[in-house]
Amino acid sequence: MEIEDKVAVKKMMNGNEAVARGAFEAGLKVASGFPGTPSTEVMEYTQQKYPEIYCEWSTNEKVGLEVAIGASFAGYRSMAIMKTVGLHVAADALGGAAGSQINGGLVLVVGDDVGRTAGDDYNDVRHYGNMFNIPVLEPSDSQDAKDLMVKAFEISEEYSTPVILKITSVICKTTSAVVVDESLTYKVQCREKYPVSFSKVIMTTMMMNAKGSEHPKLTKCFHDFPAHMKRLAVDSNNFDINRLELKGTKIGVITSGTPYYYVKEVLPEASVLKLGLIMPLPEMLIRELAVHVDQLYVIEDGHDIMEKNIKDLGVSVVGKELFPKFPEMMRFTPDIIEEKLVAGAQVRKEMSGIPFRLPVSCAGCSHLFISQILKKHKIKAAADVTCGLIGCFPHMESYQLQKCMGSSIALAHGYNVATDHKENFVAMIGDGGFWATGINGLMNLIFNDSQSTTIIVDNSCLAMTGGQHIASSDFGFNYKPENKLEIAKICEAVGVKDIVTVDAYEYEHLEKAILNAVQAPTNSVVIVQKPCVTKFKLPKGNVHFIDQDLCTQCRKCINIGCLAIESKKGADGKVKIVINEDLCVGCGLCTTTCKFNAIKS
Amino acid sequence: MQDTGKNIMIAGVGGQGILLFSNLLSKFYTKLGYELKISDVIGLGQRGGGVESHFRYSINPVLSPFIKAGDVDFLISFEQTETLRYLHCLKDDGVIFSSTFELSTSSVNTRIEQDMPESKTELIKNSKNKTFIVDPEKYKSSEFDISKMMNIVMLAFYAEYRGYSHDEMIQIVRESVPAKFVEGNIKAYMAGIQIAQSKIESKSLI
Repeated sequence: MEIEDKVAVKKMMNGNEAVARGAFEAGLKVASGFPGTPSTEVMEYTQQKYPEIYCEWSTNEKVGLEVAIGASFAGYRSMAIMKTVGLHVAADALGGAAGSQINGGLVLVVGDDVGRTAGDDYNDVRHYGNMFNIPVLEPSDSQDAKDLMVKAFEISEEYSTPVILKITSVICKTTSAVVVDESLTYKVQCREKYPVSFSKVIMTTMMMNAKGSEHPKLTKCFHDFPAHMKRLAVDSNNFDINRLELKGTKIGVITSGTPYYYVKEVLPEASVLKLGLIMPLPEMLIRELAVHVDQLYVIEDGHDIMEKNIKDLGVSVVGKELFPKFPEMMRFTPDIIEEKLVAGAQVRKEMSGIPFRLPVSCAGCSHLFISQILKKHKIKAAADVTCGLIGCFPHMESYQLQKCMGSSIALAHGYNVATDHKENFVAMIGDGGFWATGINGLMNLIFNDSQSTTIIVDNSCLAMTGGQHIASSDFGFNYKPENKLEIAKICEAVGVKDIVTVDAYEYEHLEKAILNAVQAPTNSVVIVQKPCVTKFKLPKGNVHFIDQDLCTQCRKCINIGCLAIESKKGADGKVKIVINEDLCVGCGLCTTTCKFNAIKS
Repeated sequence: MQDTGKNIMIAGVGGQGILLFSNLLSKFYTKLGYELKISDVIGLGQRGGGVESHFRYSINPVLSPFIKAGDVDFLISFEQTETLRYLHCLKDDGVIFSSTFELSTSSVNTRIEQDMPESKTELIKNSKNKTFIVDPEKYKSSEFDISKMMNIVMLAFYAEYRGYSHDEMIQIVRESVPAKFVEGNIKAYMAGIQIAQSKIESKSLI
C-alpha cells in the first residue's frame, strides 16, 4: 500500500486567515505589529491557530516592525502586521531595514483599506516599495494569499530584502477555498548568513568609499542591495506568480490583486498579465503582452503606481485617463471595467434619496459622556484616532481638531502655546492612542511647561479595531498581572501635576472633573474609566424609554449621538423620538439632557 | 436541470448576524460541492453601519468576489433601508426577501438629511421583482421574539423557497452555533419555515 504523505484538504478561509496559514507553512517564528483594519485578523488567526509562533501586539507599528527586524537578524523568519496608515508610523524602521542584510526572512503584511470601507484615508502601501526599493507582492484570492506569503519569505532571504505583502480590505474579507496540507508539521527555519546588518548609511559609506579594499572588517559591512533588486527584477520574468495569459489580441490588461478577477469575469477574451510580484515589474512579460495586443490597459486599485512604473519602462499603457482615481473612484468593481471596456454595457444606478449612515457610537460608550460634556460647556478640544472621533462628525460636533493616532495631546499643546494659554484647548485621547504614541505628547508638554488638559479614555482595550489588548489591559497574548501598566501611574511618573480618575457613568463627577481640570492653573489629566461596552458586553442596566406625553421633540437627547435613540415615523405618520430597547444599555446619559423629565427607566 | 450557481446579496446593519448567515449558507453549498466566494463589506458595522455580503456559488470557479449590479439572483435583507440600497443590483427575475425592520440613520435622526417621504416597505413592494416581506413584529410573541434571530428565520425562508432540505440546514445550524443558542436558533428556524410556507403558498407578499 502506498502511503500518501500529503493530506490535501480544501478549506474556506478569508484572506487574513490564509496569510496566517502561509506564515505557518513558511516556518514563521515571530509575529509582531499593531491592530489596524483590515489586517488585524492576520495576527488573531496566527495566535489562535498556531501556538508554535510567538505573537505580540506591540505598543505601536514602529516598535512592532523593530521587533520583527531584530528577530530576523537572529536568523528567524518574522512578520510585522499593520495597516498602511500604521506603516507611516513604522516608515523609519522600514527605511532602516530596507537594503540591509537579511538573515531570517522579514515580511511586512500591510493592509490597504481599498474603498475606504472602514473609514481609512486613501493610502497605498506600494509607495513604500518605490521609495525604499523593496519588493511588494499582492494576492488575488485566499489561495494566492497563502502561496504568496510563503514566496515572500523566500524572496526576502534569496534577495536579502524586507518584503511587503500588500493585502486589501477586499482580500482580507473575502472567503474562498484554500488547499491545505493537513499533514504538514511546523518546521522553524533558521538562517544565519550575515554576521552584521546595518542601515544603509553605514553600508553605502563602505560601498562607495572603500571600494578597493578587501579587508574583512570592511567587506562584512558591504551589501550591494541595488544588485539584488536588479537580479530580482530579471528573475521575476520567470516567477510562476507572474502569469501571462495570452488570448485575444484586441485588449491586454496588466493587473494584480482582486481586480485580476474582475477583469477575468468581465473581459474573458482579453490577454492578461496577472502580477503576484508588483514591484519590481517583470519587464519582459510586459513587453511580450504589449506587442501581442492592440490596446494595453493597467487596472490597479489604489494609486496609479504600476501605471507610472510601466510608463517609466517606455511602454504605452492606458490607466487613470480612462479610469480616474480618487475621488471619482474609490475602488475598482467589475461594473466599472464593464462600463468602460464592454460595448453596450448597461449601467445601473442606486435609487436616489436613500439616507446615508454616518458612524454612530455604541449605546453606553464612555466617549458619548465626554463628547456631551465638552459640547455642553463649549470646551474646544482635539480628538484622536479612537472611537471618540465619531464626535467630530457633523451629527455630533463635539471636537474642532482631529488628525492622526496619538496626536491630540501635542495638537492641543501646540494650540495652547500659540494662543498663549488664554483658552485651555483640551486633548481627548483613547488608551490605545495614548500608549501608541500619545505618551510622547504628554512627556513633551510637561518638560515644555505647558498647562494643557488631557482626557484619557481608559476602556481597557483598543476598541475601534475590535478590542485588542494594550499595555493597560487585563488580558493579552503575553499578559501577566504584574506587567500591566497603569495610566495614572505613568502620568504621575512623567510629572503631570493634577490627575483625576473618574467613572464615565458618574456624570456629575465627570463633568466636575473636566471643568476643574480645564480651569486648573497647571497641566492636568482626567482619566475616564469604563470598559468598552462592545468588547466586554457589560451587564445591561435599566432600559430607558421616552414618555411620549412629556416629550416636546426638542431633540436634545437625539443629538447626543447614541445609537439607541431614534427618530421614527409611526403608523400614524407622526415622527416620534424613541429609545431602541434592544440597543439601550441603561447608562442614563440621555436623562441628563432632558429638561422635561420625559426619559424614564 | 442542475443549478449551476447563483449570486446572493445579503444586506443589513451591524449586529444582525449577517456573517453567521453567510457562514451557514457557505457550509450548505460546500456540502453540495459548489465553488464559493463570499465577500463581506463591513464598514463601521458595529456602530450602526451597513453590512453587505456578496455570496456567490457556482459549479465553476467563482471569479469576481463582487457581484455586478444587475447580476443578483437573490437579495436577502434584514433592514429595509438597506434593501433599497441594493434593489438596482437585482436581475429582472431576481427575488427579494426583506425584513421590515428599520434602523434609522444618524443623519436623519439629527436632521442633517431628510428621510425618504415614501414608505420604504411600499417602495420595496413596488419594485418589479418578486418580493417576500417579513414583518418580525407580526410574529413576535411574549414567549418568543423572532426579531432577534431574523438571520435564522430568513435562512429557513430561503431554504423553503429553494426547496432545500431543512434537515440538512438545521444540522448545519446545530453544528455551527454555540451550544446554549442551539435550541433558540432551531425554534427560530422552525418559525421561519412556517412563515415561508404561509407566504409562498398564499402568494401573499406581506
